[in-house]
Amino acid sequence: MSRTYHEAIRDMSHVMVKIKNPSRLLKIITRYLYREMNISSVAIAVFDEKRKRYVFYDSQGSRRIPKSLVKIDHDNPLITWFSRKDARRVPAHDYLTLPRIDELLATEVRENHNERHCLRLTKMKAVMQNIGACACFPGYHKRDLLGILFVGEKVDEAPFTDEELMFLQVVASDASMSLMSAWYQRALEEKVTDLEVSLSIIRGMRNKDKGKYLQTIITLANAVDAKDPYTCGHGEEVERWGMLTVGEMDVHFDNDRCDLLRCALRLHDFGKLGVPDQILNKEGKLTIEEWIKMKDHVKIGARILEEHDDFKEVAKIILHHHENFDGSGYPFGLKEEEIPLEARIIAVVDSFHAMISDRPYRKGMSYDDAIAELKKHAGRQFDQHVVDAFLRVLEKSIRIES
Amino acid sequence: MARMLIVDDENEICEFLQEFFEDKGYTVDTAPTGDAALRIVREKRPDILLLDIMMPGKSGLETLKEAKKILPTIKVIMVSALETTDKIETALRLGADNYITKPLSLEYLESEVKAKLAV
Repeated sequence: MSRTYHEAIRDMSHVMVKIKNPSRLLKIITRYLYREMNISSVAIAVFDEKRKRYVFYDSQGSRRIPKSLVKIDHDNPLITWFSRKDARRVPAHDYLTLPRIDELLATEVRENHNERHCLRLTKMKAVMQNIGACACFPGYHKRDLLGILFVGEKVDEAPFTDEELMFLQVVASDASMSLMSAWYQRALEEKVTDLEVSLSIIRGMRNKDKGKYLQTIITLANAVDAKDPYTCGHGEEVERWGMLTVGEMDVHFDNDRCDLLRCALRLHDFGKLGVPDQILNKEGKLTIEEWIKMKDHVKIGARILEEHDDFKEVAKIILHHHENFDGSGYPFGLKEEEIPLEARIIAVVDSFHAMISDRPYRKGMSYDDAIAELKKHAGRQFDQHVVDAFLRVLEKSIRIES
Repeated sequence: MARMLIVDDENEICEFLQEFFEDKGYTVDTAPTGDAALRIVREKRPDILLLDIMMPGKSGLETLKEAKKILPTIKVIMVSALETTDKIETALRLGADNYITKPLSLEYLESEVKAKLAV
């Protein structure tokens, strides 16, 4: 690919990732291609998951397709051609042009005489011609066909060069990635709004009915658990162990402080609501960028909770539950007594529970190995006193079980 | 070749479908309102009518009723954005030959138009 196309792709993807509004994103892509590439028309059809169809959202140029007027059903031959779930065939190119369909048709007629294949290719051609397209480019997310970019012929009627076709294919792929993240962003904003509503309800409820208040917190925490299938039930266990641990320590927590700790233990991963699912559930190691986003969960959780008076103290604890005793943790690198005791407790029980749990990329450790890890890092990553108390809790519970 | 009338209050939709059917060899008129449509029905006696159910002013259903009165042989395909079965049922009772919902498949629309004209 020549330099100008490289530059164009870079510019476009920079613009695309910043746009959080899905329909604005589609509009910008069609406008850009129409203006910059001298194509007579550009149109994008996007998957409508609920109805299993692809609907034209935006188009530019001659034969402009009015928004939401035209659809292509998911079982249309053009869609199944691109659908990767169609395992019978591996496409040679991602994109498809009218001349290419003609070639395939000619081969079919000449060599295979398969009427069904001919009919299928003819139908594919009709779909493209009906909307005035001479080439189309699929956009995927994982294995799913998210949308198709259709382009008409060039204004000067010259055939597309390979370079241009490649460029358009890259645009289609980048666009689906941006679209996915725009959708995700929107869903997340809705989720956070929902949560804020729940939080204000909780606030009003707290004084009236304590039992109900705790129940709502648990519901909220379960919503977080549900987002990550591998940590389902994690919050509950961490809460139980954390409360037992503080009981083993040489400190006195009054009722209010106990409530705060219980709440923080339960909600410590609350900010994971703000971490993209594809990072949370990733099979394999995280990239540096993904890891940065993952680390953000402590700040996100604290930010959402601190806006509500009753959760200000909880937010402070959650913010620091990934700090290490020796100052090597995040987000601020606090050390020793600078870290709230509640956060030091969460750090120990959370790490232990994480070590013994299965994750997408590894099996969980045995109790003995995980205990050895805790001992090894006590005094460095973890507060020695907390580790000692927690080990007593474990010993007692193992004794009871056996 | 058959003469078609497309009725929709959205100019964009009229233009798009007009061009689509003209490419297929149809003679196509368009109208933005029910009243304008009925004038064309009287004057040009189209073979087939693509009629939007939801229009300001004279509704699609009223237009359908009057068009069938003026020209009983005219075929009518209702186009609806709402998948409200009650309106569609009424339309079919009033003599509509079929209906199609938006977003629509162009291939299906074309085959429906062909089928109705062949009857």
